[in-house]
Amino acid sequence: MVALDHTFQTGKPADYNWDAILDLERVIPCVEGGKVLSRESPDLAKAEIKVKMGAMSMTFRGTVEVVERDEAEHTALLRVKSRDTGGSGYANADVTFALNDGGGAIHTEARITGKAASMGEGVVSQVLDALVKDFTGKLATI
Amino acid sequence: MTTLGPENGTLTVRTGRRGAVARAGHDLLIEVQRWEGTLSPDEVTLTADARSLRVVSGSGGLSPLGDDEKAGIAQTIDDEVLEGTTIAYRSSAVTARDGGYDVAGELDLHGVTHPLAFSLTLDGDHLTGSAQVKQSDWRMKPYSALFGTLKVADVVEVSIDATLPKEA
Repeated sequence: MVALDHTFQTGKPADYNWDAILDLERVIPCVEGGKVLSRESPDLAKAEIKVKMGAMSMTFRGTVEVVERDEAEHTALLRVKSRDTGGSGYANADVTFALNDGGGAIHTEARITGKAASMGEGVVSQVLDALVKDFTGKLATI
Repeated sequence: MTTLGPENGTLTVRTGRRGAVARAGHDLLIEVQRWEGTLSPDEVTLTADARSLRVVSGSGGLSPLGDDEKAGIAQTIDDEVLEGTTIAYRSSAVTARDGGYDVAGELDLHGVTHPLAFSLTLDGDHLTGSAQVKQSDWRMKPYSALFGTLKVADVVEVSIDATLPKEA
């Protein structure tokens, strides 16, 4: 498992950040290569992410679900469950948001298997770190 | 004037890698399969078909580069890097020196024309030379993958190794 912590700045009030982060149709496209395939309910979306690897790309398809939310504390847990469409691997992650005025913090715990994991935990960790950093940059614009 | 092409030798491109997970990528040796060059004491020209690049080999990386991956890279070069654009070099000055020529001129690459100088060595009928092409000088953003953690190095090396045809 890879665990990562990041902070981000939006310059917007906590209530705004709360509404934005919990709107799956707004937050999922903030992941590079990510898109919503269908919105199943306010708290559940089918989604996919395409990861460019140079020689080829990998597509992970699955669900993103808001599984815990505490509006008073402005904390929420989003669970990602996805499978590699071209192989047998999966990429799952629990992403915990703690929001405040101006931005927030993200704690990510990811489990990745299959071809992507064959690059080694060190590489996977650095790639995920770059993914989340890029994601946090885009959160400033939603 | 001497005209050269793939039947006389090879035009190759060597790329390196950068980024936090550079170790996961490969240094590539790429061959240009369709090109034509001309060589005379006062002018050097080269044109290459941007859609004719073939990955010959990759060194480094976490696993060997397979044929499917080589083909995938060539496709990526076509679709996202060179995009089939014109590649053309024309010299503005050729200076003869002992054992070869120093060449200055301009390379048209990916829609941008920028100066490029290099040296050619002539040993009998064996012509060799290489040029360092810094992609950003041609306003090209070096290819990157895995959220920017794996990038092609900005400078690529283009080399020619050919045997001059016998004059008729």
